[in-house]
Amino acid sequence: MSPVLSDRIEVHDLHFYYGHTCALKAVSLNVPERQVTAFIGPSGCGKSTLLRCFNRMNDEIPGARVSSGSIHIGGVNIQQPSVDVAKLRREVGMVFQKSNPFPRSIFDNVAFGLQLHRISNRSMLNQAVEEALISAALWDEVKDRLHESALALSGGQQQRLCIARSLAVKPSIILMDEPCSALDPIAAAKVEDLIRTLRQQITFIIVTHNMQQAARVSDLTAFFHLGELIEFSPTLKLFSNPAHKLTEAYLRGTFG
Amino acid sequence: MSQHLFRDYDNAIHHLQEDLLTMATLTRQNLEQAMQALLRGDTDLANTVIAADSDVDELERKVDQIGMEILVRFHPVATDLRLIIASMKISTSLERISDHAVGIAKRVRKINQGQPMQEVQWLEPLYAQAYALLRDAMDSYTNHDKLLGQALHEKDRELDRLHKQLTRTLSSQLEVANGRSAAWLHLIFIARSLERIGDLSVNIGEEAVFLESAINIRHEYRKPLPENQLPST
Repeated sequence: MSPVLSDRIEVHDLHFYYGHTCALKAVSLNVPERQVTAFIGPSGCGKSTLLRCFNRMNDEIPGARVSSGSIHIGGVNIQQPSVDVAKLRREVGMVFQKSNPFPRSIFDNVAFGLQLHRISNRSMLNQAVEEALISAALWDEVKDRLHESALALSGGQQQRLCIARSLAVKPSIILMDEPCSALDPIAAAKVEDLIRTLRQQITFIIVTHNMQQAARVSDLTAFFHLGELIEFSPTLKLFSNPAHKLTEAYLRGTFG
Repeated sequence: MSQHLFRDYDNAIHHLQEDLLTMATLTRQNLEQAMQALLRGDTDLANTVIAADSDVDELERKVDQIGMEILVRFHPVATDLRLIIASMKISTSLERISDHAVGIAKRVRKINQGQPMQEVQWLEPLYAQAYALLRDAMDSYTNHDKLLGQALHEKDRELDRLHKQLTRTLSSQLEVANGRSAAWLHLIFIARSLERIGDLSVNIGEEAVFLESAINIRHEYRKPLPENQLPST
């Protein structure tokens, strides 16, 4: 795999199984670079499964597999066995529903990924940690207590710390799985504002059940149902004039 | 107005207001130039107004589009919700005012094809009153001045009085027109446009009151504003 990826994601006719259960059926879509794309749909529709395909997080689940189709990131087929998964995950970072800081200091949390990638020069580390915390809009709140435990931070701060940890290794894509569902509205607004600010440099894909959040933060929205991609359009178009009856029923809450 | 945590929201509101104010400036300019074209017999100026109307139309579309985008994306509430609703309605009124200015300009072109008419000056007081109404209406919106917004009804009554008076005068001239009946009819219709511009300005003032106090004064303008019911914000 080439060390420098562009961040366009091309999914072609993807089928995915958990054991004998088909979770994604013939999904094809192109996620454009440096925009925010939201994946929405009812539970079990396959949106998180697809998200986790993009940095091969599903590899960790026994019996989970792509049965056919392909995912290319920057022109490289990431399903190939020759792909270095650690490098892929450096390019394609991930933020989860529940913030998961390590039980270490704020500084160590952000520096962790860099040290993993064998950056040990202290001044370089200091600079990278500061830059990541500034980008994650957390620096002003933690700069005087970098060596205190990350677990002492509030939920919203912990989530931004996890974003800073992802940013530190300079990914080109960040995947977010319900990143604000455990946050209060003010903390969520800060994370959303952060996404909109960083999207000039980074491609974001966000899985959310919060329709208003999808409408606020994303440029494009994909609606999934029972493992199929039903509609993929500019967000304003999808929310104001959806092309598919199923999308309209889901958005209006008249589903099923 | 205080800022939102989510800056995209502020940016969208800022663009909406900016486009609406540009629209108001162009609309006032179109009315001014249409009436100057009439009073000075300047056909070129009338043509300028007709050409400029498409800019106002374009801005109306933009305000609608940004307004809808804000409704879809940010689900505005409270002052924000009233601001979006009021701004979209004001933009519709402004577009209609600009259409009246174009209507005036088209009639000016026709009047100017005939003999010069000194009597066009009779429309000046009506124009001055309509122009003042439009100016005050937009001031009430930009300065969040609900009292100025509500006061427009009184000013409009004066405009209506002037309009009735002038229409009577113009109609009597029409009866003895001696081949100039078309020109007198044009003046009657121009007077009617100025009267309508007054009504539309009153509508803008009503939106400014709604924006500031969440009170809908449409069709109830004779009642005083219930000060004690106003929200503290």
